Amino acid sequence: MKGGVKLIVFIGWALIALPAQVEEILIKNATIHTLTRAGIMENADILIQDGSISAVAAGIDSASAGTVIDASGKQVTPGLINAYTYLGIREISMVEGTDDVSTEDEQFSSAFNISSAINPDSTLLPHNLIHGLTHGIVAAESEHQVFAGQGAVLQLGKPSSILTRSVAMFARLGSSSGESGGGSRASSYLKMRQALADTKEYKANREAIRTGNWRDLSLQVHDLEALMPVIDGDLPLVVNVQRASDIKALLELKKEFGFRLVIAGAGEAWRVAAELAEENVPVIIDPMANLPLDFDRLAARLDAAALLDAAGVTVLFTGVGSQHTHSAFLVRQAAGNAVAYGMDKTAALKAMTLNPASVFGFADKTGSLEPGKPANLVIWDGDPLEILTSAKQVIVNGEIIPMVSRSTRLRDRYLDLDSKQEIFYRK
Amino acid sequence: MGFLQGMNKQLRPAGLCVVFLALTLSNACTETAVEPEVVAGQADPFPSTYAPAAATPVLLNNATLLTGTGRQLDNASILLVDGKIDAIGPAIDFPENAVVIDASGKWITPGLIDVHSHLGVYPAPSHEGNSDGNEITNPNTAQVYAEHSVWTQDPQFTLALAGGVTTLQILPGSANLFGGRGVTLKNIPSRTVQAMKFPGAPYSLKMACGENPKRVYGGEAGQAPASRMANVAGYRTAWIEAANYLDKQEAYAGKQAKGRKPKPPPRNLRLETLAEVLNGNILVHNHCYRGEEMAVMIDVAKEFNYKVTAFHHAVEAYKVADILAEHDICAAMWPEWWGFKHEAYDMVEGNVAMVDAAGACAIVHSDSAITGQRLNQEAAKAMAAGIAAGYPITRAHAINWITSNPAKALGVSARTGSLEVGKMADVVLWDGDPFSVYSRTEKVFIDGVLIYDRLDEARQPVTDFDLGIIDPTGERL
Repeated sequence: MKGGVKLIVFIGWALIALPAQVEEILIKNATIHTLTRAGIMENADILIQDGSISAVAAGIDSASAGTVIDASGKQVTPGLINAYTYLGIREISMVEGTDDVSTEDEQFSSAFNISSAINPDSTLLPHNLIHGLTHGIVAAESEHQVFAGQGAVLQLGKPSSILTRSVAMFARLGSSSGESGGGSRASSYLKMRQALADTKEYKANREAIRTGNWRDLSLQVHDLEALMPVIDGDLPLVVNVQRASDIKALLELKKEFGFRLVIAGAGEAWRVAAELAEENVPVIIDPMANLPLDFDRLAARLDAAALLDAAGVTVLFTGVGSQHTHSAFLVRQAAGNAVAYGMDKTAALKAMTLNPASVFGFADKTGSLEPGKPANLVIWDGDPLEILTSAKQVIVNGEIIPMVSRSTRLRDRYLDLDSKQEIFYRK
Repeated sequence: MGFLQGMNKQLRPAGLCVVFLALTLSNACTETAVEPEVVAGQADPFPSTYAPAAATPVLLNNATLLTGTGRQLDNASILLVDGKIDAIGPAIDFPENAVVIDASGKWITPGLIDVHSHLGVYPAPSHEGNSDGNEITNPNTAQVYAEHSVWTQDPQFTLALAGGVTTLQILPGSANLFGGRGVTLKNIPSRTVQAMKFPGAPYSLKMACGENPKRVYGGEAGQAPASRMANVAGYRTAWIEAANYLDKQEAYAGKQAKGRKPKPPPRNLRLETLAEVLNGNILVHNHCYRGEEMAVMIDVAKEFNYKVTAFHHAVEAYKVADILAEHDICAAMWPEWWGFKHEAYDMVEGNVAMVDAAGACAIVHSDSAITGQRLNQEAAKAMAAGIAAGYPITRAHAINWITSNPAKALGVSARTGSLEVGKMADVVLWDGDPFSVYSRTEKVFIDGVLIYDRLDEARQPVTDFDLGIIDPTGERL
């Protein structure tokens, strides 16, 4: 009845990982969700060499593999990605000094870059990793500015590391733009428009402006510099916005300035799904967020992800609710619920793997299971979207991750309360 | 837990009798305990007006039943008559007028019970104008009743209903040491809160340990409590007052019983609530994260001779699971929420299963209008974590965490929370295994009445809020 037997199985795999760097791993007899044209492969193998996938096929010869994992009855997916998190920048939300999520600084706007705050030793990372989450988009937030700054891509692993320091510009519109809006969503919209226009002006007159021979612009030089890749279409602009009318207004801005737009929050995005699809605007959505929590998202609903997907919108998942950081791995439950409310299962898997990797420009690193890509994958003991399914093994860049976190260690030391005096000596 | 009528001095909770006896006092503690006249127990001024509608008998045929008593019955049927569960079994005789529903391949559970909800008091949309869950004006607001804040048109009620929730405890928030009275509601769409009140369910008292009260008062308002030790002093001071109040009430009743016409002591709503806890008529639901604090609160309860019914948000319950079991205290837990405060940092996902394995009453609660729509998935996550920790937990067992165990904590387990003959016909029909992410409720019965039917729009309630708010000719969803 105690936890021992199960743990041996768990740790049994983890032990294989020592020493950490394994040259060649063969995963045998799995159901593989490749998320490529190969689709779902049954009873197939994955060969990992030098950290990368070298083959995905049935009956790969295991002769040279140092480690063979029998994955019979198990399923393999790419490592999961949560497309909107505060991973690495929030340890304990209410402990000042461990939470770097939102800047109150009014000096910086677009120039603010969250990556310098990311703590790769955060206890949240191993916790999420052993539940199958290998990557998170780390968003930037600001108390005062429409443009909060630049977010990053974090790769969870041993150790975790920043994959991309500046992956997107983050902004807010609508009622969530708060103080930055000056009390009306029209003014935050105007600020956004003004900033983009000023950036164009800056780009065309850079030297004159930098030497002070120009009129005052709405932003400072460092912020204008940071916005240049946005108007050049090199850096996606992720805008938190809920109301359908605000999303439409953004689409107008996009047409005017030609930036790469990604919508986040997006409670009412399904109502403008056709326009979003036509403009090729991906949407980051928590498919379980069906509450009309404010008047901007009265139309939030459980089949929103399915409706967006059916309209041809590229869907990216985050969630669940406010747990998108400490329990960012719950994006898997969010995906399962999207399927329960009508979304295609493979589409739901892509929304937390290939889609965020593609939209944010790191699909060469992860997101699908195909030869040539680094081996970032999860072996599940069942349907990867089911609640009762657990991650049995996570592999990051070909390295077998010990399936241990501070949380599992706390659990294990308290499994036996009969000898209480010994608790503090259990390590 | 009766109060000893002979004790008319100050500071006389029963738990201290021995101490007093040893010091100075007479034989007060050796007097025979008299069954307490419930003098402080005024009739509820806001009585339930809920009466189930008349309903045709319903037979749900050939389903998999999770009974909430630890059993899974395959290919079983259940008959609902006059608001009660009339029969359960493989083959049931049923009245001629019964509606027979083929439930082959489907699952049936008791109506789900959310022991920690703020629906109606923290409604959607969420804004200052309708945020009514915390009376942050004094660390002791035992006088407030959560039901007086409930907006019955909160669209979150019907969403929870679609998730199979038939009973909820609406609690005040956790800003205060004593947050006020909680109320148990049936999830019946209603114009008035009285028409939702679970008839005869006891009131609860929301108490809070730890960071919240000390932050709200010490940190933000510059008054006590500013520390956990002042939290505890605050509870004890209040219980002393309550014991005094109760003494006066009992003295008054005693004189009345002797035929005298004494002047009634003044009523005090705050102390009335606390006194009713001491009388055993109000159940204590105590927000408490840390193991140490739970152990301290158990001693406070012993000192003043009341019982903690449940610790809520009991993130560290696994550290003291044996102590909870020993004192017959429930722990209401999330499957995995953590890290928003330091007192929520030591989360382990095996928590629910570990508390359960220690023999304590384990509950999965939501405290959320999102997860409260799918308590079944919350229980499933806790079950998966329990299995990962080595406990062979079945669905038949895990369903107790969201049905019979919360019913026990709400004092209504004799009437709902399980599929047993004679109990309220609070029943959910699922289109598949309720522990699967893909399964959804199909029909929800409360007291035998079909309150929600996913297959029949006509039986899907729509709140006033939802009506015509996006499309004047339609509803919100």
